[in-house]
Amino acid sequence: MGQAAEPLTHPANGREKLIERDEALRDAAQAWERRNQEAFRTETKEKFVTDEGVEIKRVYTPLDLMEKGFDYQGDLGFPGGYPYTRAITPTLYRSNLWRISQYSGYATPEECNDLWKAQVQSGLNTIYIAYDLPTQLGYDPDYPEAEGEVGRVGASLVSLRDWEIAFDGIDIEGVLVSQVINAPAAIGIALQLAYARKRGVPWTKLKGIAQNDILKEYIARGNYIFPPEPAIRLLVDSLSFCAENVPNYIPITVSAYHFSEQGADRVHEIAFALADAVTYLEAAKERGVDLDLILPQLMWLVSHEHCDFFSEIAKLRAMRKLWARITKERFQVKKPESMQCRLYSAQSGLSLTREQYINNIARTGISALAAALAGVQTIDLRTYDEHWGIPSKEAELTNVRIQQVVGYETGVTQTVDPLGGSYYVESLTLELEQRIAEELRRVDEMGGMLHAIEVGYPQNKNFDDACRFQRELEAGEMVKVGFNRFREKEDSRPVRVYRADPKVEGQRKKAVQEMRRSRDNARVERALANLKDLAVKPPSETGNLMPHLIEAVEAYTTIGEICTVLRGVWGEFKEPAVV
Amino acid sequence: MAWQAQRGRGRPVSSEGLRPSLRILIGKPGLDGHDIGFKVVAAALRDAGFEVVLGGIYLTPEEIVEMAVQEAVDVVGLNVMSGAHMTAVPEVIEGLRARGLDLPVIVGGIIPPTDVAALREKGIAAYFGPGTPMKEIVAYMNKLAEREAL
Repeated sequence: MGQAAEPLTHPANGREKLIERDEALRDAAQAWERRNQEAFRTETKEKFVTDEGVEIKRVYTPLDLMEKGFDYQGDLGFPGGYPYTRAITPTLYRSNLWRISQYSGYATPEECNDLWKAQVQSGLNTIYIAYDLPTQLGYDPDYPEAEGEVGRVGASLVSLRDWEIAFDGIDIEGVLVSQVINAPAAIGIALQLAYARKRGVPWTKLKGIAQNDILKEYIARGNYIFPPEPAIRLLVDSLSFCAENVPNYIPITVSAYHFSEQGADRVHEIAFALADAVTYLEAAKERGVDLDLILPQLMWLVSHEHCDFFSEIAKLRAMRKLWARITKERFQVKKPESMQCRLYSAQSGLSLTREQYINNIARTGISALAAALAGVQTIDLRTYDEHWGIPSKEAELTNVRIQQVVGYETGVTQTVDPLGGSYYVESLTLELEQRIAEELRRVDEMGGMLHAIEVGYPQNKNFDDACRFQRELEAGEMVKVGFNRFREKEDSRPVRVYRADPKVEGQRKKAVQEMRRSRDNARVERALANLKDLAVKPPSETGNLMPHLIEAVEAYTTIGEICTVLRGVWGEFKEPAVV
Repeated sequence: MAWQAQRGRGRPVSSEGLRPSLRILIGKPGLDGHDIGFKVVAAALRDAGFEVVLGGIYLTPEEIVEMAVQEAVDVVGLNVMSGAHMTAVPEVIEGLRARGLDLPVIVGGIIPPTDVAALREKGIAAYFGPGTPMKEIVAYMNKLAEREAL
């Protein structure tokens, strides 16, 4: 206390003392280095380097932070305060544990209902819908394009009728329903809103999430339908509609995760997602949307892994700070909620192994700890059997328990940002922040993300990273226990691997066709004709398309039918020949 | 890459006479858009001296068969992670046979063990699951190329 007071009463004298102290520290550090040269030679590697090329030093001291010009108030601030490096709320997990989430969905609405009811029973407070691929690409189960894919990687839910079955008896006001849907996301949101209305849950109270991040589909995930311009039109419509009508709904989750899953390093992962979000904000601004209206409802999907544990934490802290600066300085937003980076963090399946699959539980637990130490809002984990097939129900429930162990047993939740102030973590945070900002500048200099995607820039960067990942893995530079080290001759395999019943495709075809027979088809025709008329006109003439989409799905028009009409007007995106 | 000029089967040895090569089509049937895996495999095969025809994503079995014919490839590599393998893969094999092509069809991706056995019965030549080192795939192709060269 006495020492701290001194510089205040005698500023000049205090500064001198501080400089003296820094010099003494520098001398001590150098002396330590000289003394321990022999010990240094026993180190297992000449250099310790992370994926993105950050060299990790032997030890970090206040000198590292001084060199980087670290400033507590400017770089960290307090939890819940700008630039939100430490956390976006003042109390973080002392008030509420993060949301526990588990990506899941089985083929039919009936199976989903069973699964989700069991999950809610186990303490899960989010239903994170995995759709099958036909639904994600706007094809109904009976469309020829859907053959062989119906209900394979997730749920086939294409109409309000399907929602009625899937969520029957589930408290949709208490549980948060999150949809992984992108190209037809506006229709997915319309379905959720229509269903809420039907169940009598007011939109003002409805909580929910949609992924709705189309740019990363062009870059990494491949589930695009329309060309970028109409796709972003739908996106902006859904953002501003939700901002005005569904205040607790998150209509967009800008995704960094998929880049990481491809093998991208941390800098590319975060920079490309930030650049995607910048593109959306610019599009919204151009349409005259007030950014302070839509930004509080924007969320991020990021990745957390057990590998390079501290870099993962630093990455997310740096991202929070960068987003706060981008929104405040570049977009001049005013509301604090507009500057806060809400993180939905998912483990990447890339970090798991097929070999000795049960070891994945350890990886998953450690990764959950990384996400907790990074102060994220939601954690989602990959299952131990993921490399063997679609996750089994047992494996999904194990993941809920892993999160509960980290959340309720370890005590890491007791203080906000426990690693804040660590010389190492703060150095990494500053280093990553600088590298991500540089990459963002490069994309800006190329003319923005839309142009960068057109010329294949992010695709190629992620591809190069993926090739490097594979090389390092095979060379054994990247250790994977059970795979390239400590391998066993006889490997075990999961007792049960989920296999979709081949009969479900037929069942789903029949169900949708029966539903079509029982609805008011004249109303459906009118809704589709209306959408077609609107889609040919520019947004300045039509206004927001969302009310019309809601009207269509309320008439039990399917995702496939709506997408067919929109495909007819807007055409389909074709991947440019890159790589 | 002097062998690039020579197309199709019966062109098993590079003009340098160094070692046999193959022309390999790699693509993804179905609606799954995750393409980084097969692109990394394609790059490894290209680095190892094979000719790779990148078929891309969202291919129908008919499109894959047509590409195999048009591009006169020696091997067809399919990546499936979406669970659509039991439909798409046999359709490609049958389609190729209907066009008089008995090409080795190689499958990569996430396939449950029982389905791998079923696919072998349907006629796939090999399956490479997650974690397969690139050198194993390259070694396999080299062996295939030598056999084709006889």
